[in-house]
Amino acid sequence: MTYTAASQKAIDDYLATLRRQLRDLMDEDVRDIVEEIHAHILDKTSGDPSPEKIASALGALGSPQQLALRYHTDELLERAQLSRSPGLLLRSIVRGASLGLGGLTVFMLSGVGYCLGGVIFVMGLLKAFLPKRAGLNIDYSPGHSLSAGFGAGSGPHAGHDPIGLWLIPICLLLGGGILFLTFRFSLWTLRFFTRPRRGPEPVALED
Amino acid sequence: MILPPPSAPEAAEKWEVQLRKGSLDLAILCALWEGPLYGLEILRNLESGSDLVVVEGTVYPLLTRLRTLGLVDAEWVESDSGHPRKYYRLTDAGRQRALSMARIWTRFAASMTSLLAPLSHNPTPHEVAGGKS
Repeated sequence: MTYTAASQKAIDDYLATLRRQLRDLMDEDVRDIVEEIHAHILDKTSGDPSPEKIASALGALGSPQQLALRYHTDELLERAQLSRSPGLLLRSIVRGASLGLGGLTVFMLSGVGYCLGGVIFVMGLLKAFLPKRAGLNIDYSPGHSLSAGFGAGSGPHAGHDPIGLWLIPICLLLGGGILFLTFRFSLWTLRFFTRPRRGPEPVALED
Repeated sequence: MILPPPSAPEAAEKWEVQLRKGSLDLAILCALWEGPLYGLEILRNLESGSDLVVVEGTVYPLLTRLRTLGLVDAEWVESDSGHPRKYYRLTDAGRQRALSMARIWTRFAASMTSLLAPLSHNPTPHEVAGGKS
């Protein structure tokens, strides 16, 4: 079966756009998806490779952008929900961020939560392994000014370390708690992204 | 800003779309019950076995999701048509899921049929009021 040059170009263009739109996914998955859609188009037009039939087959699939979006939202979110992987969760939130202002806000809040929780948690670990060099240092200067330092450095030689080793459980619990809450928040927002959206996206099923 | 409520037929149409979307997972699992099928065969099966006319671009991402969930397996098979086709088959987990979904569906449909019975036998209060005037 042979296609006219215009028909072949229409198919190639569709698949190339789909491949570009799926570039966030793993290469192997993208190849698999594009090959399957290609096979579908060939099957649909096997008896009649006319330009009209090609256009009809491509139209029935929806635009490559819409098709790619369905793959992204369906597959990526499903994987994230299944694996509970923070990395996949973050990718999903990033995907959500591209879908609107609400998604962007969630992305920023999640980023802040992960960073804050991570820093505090690491601080607890540092205090455990480098107790002389890490801690909450309160420095009473001669002018009665008060400064507080929190982090790993030369140590509390110029001031006091009022919390001492209590910093370890406090940081581990607080940091872990923030990380956990951020994680739960991310999971919860996934439901928001998986909800059917209004707008230009056409309904998935029609009469 | 408060949007005007959709007209009754429009609202019913949207509800039907959501109802069909929610049923598509089960419909695909049922289509695969008898044996492996490739994408276009699944679509034709859905079209011929029901009035579920599906936008084709919806089925492939959904098949990928079902595969991610471990409910179906997929493999590429060479065909006489000159190009390979990706065949899907139910996994054991997929069979179990289809059975449990079918049980829920049957129970739900029976409850709804029972609830809907008065609608098919009696005129609506509005019709009654109209008939009296």
